[in-house]
Amino acid sequence: MTLLLLAAGIVVGAFSALLGVGGATLMVPFMTLALDYGQHASEGTALLVVVPTAVAGVIAHRRRGYVDFKGAALLASSGVVGAVAGARLALEVSGESLKLGFGIFLMGVGLRMFVHGLRRDGGRRETA
Amino acid sequence: MVGLIAIGAGAGLASGLLGVGGGTVMVPLLVAFLGFSQHRAHATSLAAIVPIAAVAGGVFALEGVAEYDTALLLAAGALVGAPLGARAMARLGERSLEAAFGAFLVAVGLAMVFG
Repeated sequence: MTLLLLAAGIVVGAFSALLGVGGATLMVPFMTLALDYGQHASEGTALLVVVPTAVAGVIAHRRRGYVDFKGAALLASSGVVGAVAGARLALEVSGESLKLGFGIFLMGVGLRMFVHGLRRDGGRRETA
Repeated sequence: MVGLIAIGAGAGLASGLLGVGGGTVMVPLLVAFLGFSQHRAHATSLAAIVPIAAVAGGVFALEGVAEYDTALLLAAGALVGAPLGARAMARLGERSLEAAFGAFLVAVGLAMVFG
């Protein structure tokens, strides 16, 4: 179990850095489908993992001068208010409907990545 | 400035509701509406994710719906994996990988909806 979780964490971290998705997009389905955790517990746990993972990402990107801290502060100022509202709402909603919503969210994100990836890969490589 | 605050509010809501960091919401919106480059959007959204996920995760943790042992192990692995992924990004065809990963997410989404 310990080894499985460590291995899953490595995969999540690698994909997160590789594709710019928060690791939670992978962790939540991993916990609900593979570990059989409830939707609420999976979301709460994934959010806790996201914090140190994102800190590590910021440190790496900061060295290259990509982080706009003023913009991030503005995003976070309203973001934390939305986060409390969203989390309270999530706790009110049943795990089943939350799972349904998350599945639809994943399909939307996945479809966007799929189309985006196909469209741009044909030609030039994106630069900073 | 209004754009950033609006995007942040939407990302925070999605983060708390769905248990994601919010980057999947912020990155495309920053690029599409505020003219951020992909790299800058990715890095800036990560910085915003730290307080957003901490607050959303805190609400779940206070309600006792979080598995701390699992979180610790996943985080330990993720900290090893993140630099590996960042290095691999430089070598691999980023876009085709993105397309493949997108297809994978659609499949996982289908499994969650119908599973």
